Amino acid sequence: MSCCNLMFNKNHFMENTVTVDKHTLEFTNLDKIYWPKEKYTKGDVILYYEKIAPYILPYLKNRPLSLLRHPNGIEQPAFFHKDAGDNAPQWMTKFEIFSESANKDINYIVCNNKATLLYVANLGSIEINPWNSTIKKPDNPDYIVIDIDPSDGNTFDQVVETALAVKEVLDKAGIDGYCKTSGASGLHIYIPFGGKYNYDQARDFAHVIASLTVELLPDFTTLERSLSKRGKNNIYVDFLQNRRGQTLACAYSMRPKPGATVSTPLEWKEVKKGLTPAQFDFKNIFKRVEKKGDLFAPVLAKGIDLKKALKNLGV
Amino acid sequence: MGFGLVNIPVKLYSAVEDSTLDLDMLDKKDHSHIKFIRVNEKTGKEVKWENIVKGYDLNGKYVILTDEDFQKASPEKTKHIEILQFVEQAEVDSMYYESPYYLAPEKTGAKAYALLRDALEKSGKAGVGTYVLRNKENIGLIKVSGDALVLNKMRFGEEIRSTEELKLPDANPKATELKMAMALIDQLTEKFDMSKYHDTYSDELMKLIKAKAKGKVITPTPLKVVHSKSKDLMSQLKASLEGGKKKAS
Repeated sequence: MSCCNLMFNKNHFMENTVTVDKHTLEFTNLDKIYWPKEKYTKGDVILYYEKIAPYILPYLKNRPLSLLRHPNGIEQPAFFHKDAGDNAPQWMTKFEIFSESANKDINYIVCNNKATLLYVANLGSIEINPWNSTIKKPDNPDYIVIDIDPSDGNTFDQVVETALAVKEVLDKAGIDGYCKTSGASGLHIYIPFGGKYNYDQARDFAHVIASLTVELLPDFTTLERSLSKRGKNNIYVDFLQNRRGQTLACAYSMRPKPGATVSTPLEWKEVKKGLTPAQFDFKNIFKRVEKKGDLFAPVLAKGIDLKKALKNLGV
Repeated sequence: MGFGLVNIPVKLYSAVEDSTLDLDMLDKKDHSHIKFIRVNEKTGKEVKWENIVKGYDLNGKYVILTDEDFQKASPEKTKHIEILQFVEQAEVDSMYYESPYYLAPEKTGAKAYALLRDALEKSGKAGVGTYVLRNKENIGLIKVSGDALVLNKMRFGEEIRSTEELKLPDANPKATELKMAMALIDQLTEKFDMSKYHDTYSDELMKLIKAKAKGKVITPTPLKVVHSKSKDLMSQLKASLEGGKKKAS
């Protein structure tokens, strides 16, 4: 760890080959500009993940990753990369599973240590996208997510209103939800499931929550997935990210967005008018977690009692 | 799309959409959705997709086709509309017209696109081209419609049935009768304006749906009265928790 600190002095990358926890990594193009406006580089991304590792690794442990690679920065095309391929190091944890949509086996990278995290960052992954379930129980998600996805005509205050409507539904169901900025234009609300239920049940319950939320705010929220039918002024309350193989940027993940924002866990009292995702970026997140700790820890803890929740909702 | 050495990068967009209302089939008793399952005609038992094959009845015997067979017969997916010739639009019988698609140029093709469009408009001609869409080779007419170039999918000659089996009378009406008929047609001739015609059936149906809905009582506190669709979902979910305990965790 100490040798890493020496190497990770931003302006003095003495060597590009670094040993991280007994594994050798070779970093490339560290000076490449990823954010043309702010001049943040690829090296900045790697440094960020090195520093935030203790906070982000718990959300990646044993989860297959879908890499979204931006090899030339945020203003150039990105591509998804799921199969670890032949170049992935031997020591990295991997998980092979058959994908119906691709009709073949995919060998996913599983990020179980800092070395893997930095390897993935070196591939140009600005954001990190893990599965909702682990390789130990691939058919049972550990949480469900309600993804509040605004259209161009919506304000962030409306996004906040929608999140608060979700909270109202959760309160009625007698369950806890945890909110984070997506780091882009929306908010995510995670509900711990503890791996107790399968993906079908997860998706259906998320559908219920989303449905009840839209009923509370029918003027500017919708369940309509199709962009052409949604309209420019409707917030999409997305429950369909709760299917096996679907991924979302995890807590503490950077996003390829202006200002290098980070998906940041919030306290519910912070979810109010005036909140903006731009407030939380890869520079100020460290002070925040030092002060508030990991607000998202309960997401990986005990899951809700789905039967009880349904009872509270009147079924 | 292209012809000879000319290449114009374009995108294809469907030019039409259905005007019929989207209705769902429901059980009269409880308004649940109707589900379709595939069953073996002989046994009445459900057959899963992976156990279903496609067969062609050749002279009373079935020839079973596999994915490999389909692939072998499939044309090469070139993503290219190859214009083979140009024709006078009037020469093409409208019986051949099928679905229209709008062609929009990619940025680099804008100039060439405009040039082809304007030239076709001035000459009154259309291009005839082949392209591959959804694994089938198709033939299409490239013509002008307003500011756009339209790719009008055409039916193959063999798809047009002959009129042999229809009992059609021969020509030869009396001269005076023909004159009267033509005068009548002349009287009713107007300029063609499609906007005069609407899908009135769908409009009437929609009016009826809205009127019926108004009759329902709308409750002001949404969380107290759960919407029936959410309630259905929740009941199903509850059932899955009680019945399929082996499925969960």
